[in-house]
Amino acid sequence: MAPVWYALLGLFFAGYLVLGGLDYGVGLLLARRGTPAAHRATLTALGPFFLGNEVWLVAAVGLLFGAFPTLEGELLSGHYPAVAGALAGVILVTVGVQLRSRVTGASARQGWERVVAAGSALAAFGWGALLAGQLQGVPLGVDGHVAGVTHLATPFVAATGLALTALVAAHGATFLTLRLPAADTPATARLARRLVTGALATVGAATALGLLADRVRATVRQPLPAVLLVVALVGALLVARAALGRGRPGVALAATGAALALPVAVTGAALWPAALVSTVDPAATLSVADAAASGPTLRLLGWLALPLLPALLGFQAMCWWVFRGRTDGRAPVYW
Amino acid sequence: MDTLLLARLQFATTTSLHFLFVVVTLGLVTLLVGMQTTWFVTGNPRWERLTRFWGQLYVINYVLGIASGILMEFQFGLNWSGLSRYVGNVFGAPLAIETLVAFFLESTFLGMWIFGWHRLRRGVHLALLWGVALTAYASAFWIMVANAWLQHPVGYRVRDGVAHLTDFGALLRNPTLGMALGHVLAAGLLTGGMLMAAVSAGHLLRRTTDFALHRTGLRIGLVTAALAVSLVQGFGFAQFGPVGEFQPTKFDGGPTADARIAEWTTRFGPGDYTPPALSGVGLGFMILIGFLLGGVWLLLPLLWRDWAIRLRFPLWLTLLALPLPFGAVILGWLAREVGRQPWAAYGLLPTERAVSGVDPGLMLASLIGFSLLLGGLTVANWTLFARHAARGAADPALGRPPDALDTEPRPTPAFA
Ligand code: HDD
Ligand code: HEM
Ligand code: HEM
Repeated sequence: MAPVWYALLGLFFAGYLVLGGLDYGVGLLLARRGTPAAHRATLTALGPFFLGNEVWLVAAVGLLFGAFPTLEGELLSGHYPAVAGALAGVILVTVGVQLRSRVTGASARQGWERVVAAGSALAAFGWGALLAGQLQGVPLGVDGHVAGVTHLATPFVAATGLALTALVAAHGATFLTLRLPAADTPATARLARRLVTGALATVGAATALGLLADRVRATVRQPLPAVLLVVALVGALLVARAALGRGRPGVALAATGAALALPVAVTGAALWPAALVSTVDPAATLSVADAAASGPTLRLLGWLALPLLPALLGFQAMCWWVFRGRTDGRAPVYW
Repeated sequence: MDTLLLARLQFATTTSLHFLFVVVTLGLVTLLVGMQTTWFVTGNPRWERLTRFWGQLYVINYVLGIASGILMEFQFGLNWSGLSRYVGNVFGAPLAIETLVAFFLESTFLGMWIFGWHRLRRGVHLALLWGVALTAYASAFWIMVANAWLQHPVGYRVRDGVAHLTDFGALLRNPTLGMALGHVLAAGLLTGGMLMAAVSAGHLLRRTTDFALHRTGLRIGLVTAALAVSLVQGFGFAQFGPVGEFQPTKFDGGPTADARIAEWTTRFGPGDYTPPALSGVGLGFMILIGFLLGGVWLLLPLLWRDWAIRLRFPLWLTLLALPLPFGAVILGWLAREVGRQPWAAYGLLPTERAVSGVDPGLMLASLIGFSLLLGGLTVANWTLFARHAARGAADPALGRPPDALDTEPRPTPAFA
């Protein structure tokens, strides 16, 4: 049963990167200079979806703890700086977005917008660094603990963090192209195209650094699927670029969404059947099966949680349906 | 400074902070359900105004509840990897269920509730608030299942040093769960009621406009607080039964405690198995506050003919008493959690084995960094809460009709 739960965990974390990526992408774009009206419109576009997006992270971590407790402990504490950085970013975005419009005064609002932008960058970079850290292996000893954190300081980790930040920014701009009033579309689409091009460059750089790094090559168990998935990622970005050029923001958003989900698939597939690879002692490597909770726990979670999955996804879909379409003068404003 | 102490300090600060926000959430959401349901049934716009005013304050309070909650969840993996390793099979299950069954829906519902005014049918909109309230209670239930298991581990078997789940029903029937859950939920109602009464009292003292609205707020708040304080006292004293039976070392010594310590000494080696004195101090002050707040009952007769408002000193008392329930909840948790030491899971997993093998320097940086971050955000959040509470119910942004202008100065009215 462990593979099914591993896939579900991947689904939730990928879902978080895709949907939370909207929050962070939009948040990064708040760093641009713009009129207060433009920033107001940006936040109105995100508004109704914000809370429902952020909670995918909470669900992913809950699932990680319930179904893969051993992995949870070592994955998170073994990448302490990356996770703590991402977490600080998530907190800043969560608070910043919700409080920004509760203050009056232009400078106070600008201050909170800066908080959101900085948090978005931190969060995206941190999650990218976590995925890269998993791909290059960790100094996991036979005692089951990861020693130190300096293993994170590599060019590959930095490049992947940047790549995820660039992906998120492109995703956010594509979302705004689809969601802002039609009059704003051409300008946002041009911006989104430039950002997709930037994302292509950073993804290329991260891939090249990964292919060159000995630790990554030694860690990866399934090179072929990993490379194919990276190619799919690049393909998705090319599709997004073309679709933005042709005035098809819906297709473009699906493509940037796929591009944000694929890094999770790359990591999962590249390491399979391992979940956390040890660089110091092959015997310490944690396989997906070893990391999973024992049978009774997984069965219990299955009975309780799986029937609920349609309801969870259904209510999220309801939210997207109720607030679908471009924003206009009657769009609800709250934060 | 060792890692264990730092990790404990970090857990204590974040959880205490988290709880200051979630007690208010639990209390206010209950009152909001009452107010919006009354509005739905009677159609009286006064109840709509109450719902919008208190709804906005509720949503502002919610912000830091989420932010600190996310940090709570990650702390298990970051700082307490031993907990996941040794007892994660059992302890992780209720937490996973909580996130999927409760939080996921709660946030989705809340987002739709905030943005759904004037867009959804009134019945659907009301149903969303009911959904938020039920999932909030569900999350309190599951987190208390997890916490009760740490207080008194049940339904598991140890194989190769790792606890495995054998009987999930035992977790739900845990004797340390029921009374504690009732006590916590009643404490939420008490805090929410006191908050509502105090904010209304502030307006009545300053003689702001909207007399009728704040008069209603004062009445709802005081009546709720009075009923809740009796529940808090009842459930509180009822907790001594299970605590005395299953955690004899918690609040006092005696022969049962000595027997338990002797047993642990043979199984885990010699050590200090008595909890820090802080636990008993917390308990004492909480009970003191509990009796003091029982005085709310004395204010109820003064609601007759608005004597409470005319005499004014009852309003001052209500306002000044506001910090008390917040103090009591922190003290109560100190009693419960510090009293569990030196065990992470009572009699099963020593706290020192639960902590991550992280470098103390890193842990210290994390403690300082996250405390400053959350502390700063808390101050900002409470300032905004107070400001919006003081501003009154004239025109809350929550539920503002779409054609009304936003308060933001802006050149074009393109985006209302
Ligand atoms: C408004 C808050 C509040 C008030 C006025 C009280 N309590 Fe309380 N108490 C809590 C809020 C609280 C709490 C924060 O909710 C705790 C922490 C853990 C728990 O289950 O509830 C708690 C814990 C707690 C415990 C510890 C249980 C354990 O260690 O497992 C006991 C024995 C009591 N309470 C008893 C009382 C009594 C006898 C009170 C007054 C007459 C009282 N409490 C007032
Ligand atoms: C209900 C869910 C909760 C769970 C699952 C939980 C779990 C834990 C864990 C794992 C620790 C660290 C290990 C240890 O020191 O034993 C801890 C410590 C602590 N918790 Fe809780 N906790 C919960 C609620 C709370 C709340 C709401 C508060 C406070 C408002 C609180 C206050 C503390 C304190 C003060 C400590 C430090 C005790 C010490 O180390 O001396 N806990 N708790
Ligand atoms: C160690 C223990 C705890 C953990 C890991 C934890 C985790 C979380 C998380 C992740 C959230 C945010 C959910 C979201 O994104 O919507 C949250 C919010 C919440 N928590 Fe906790 N929590 C703990 C203790 C408690 C306790 C003791 C209670 C109450 C008895 C509680 C009640 C709530 C409620 C009602 C919310 C939603 C309302 C709000 O955010 O203000 N939690 N918690």
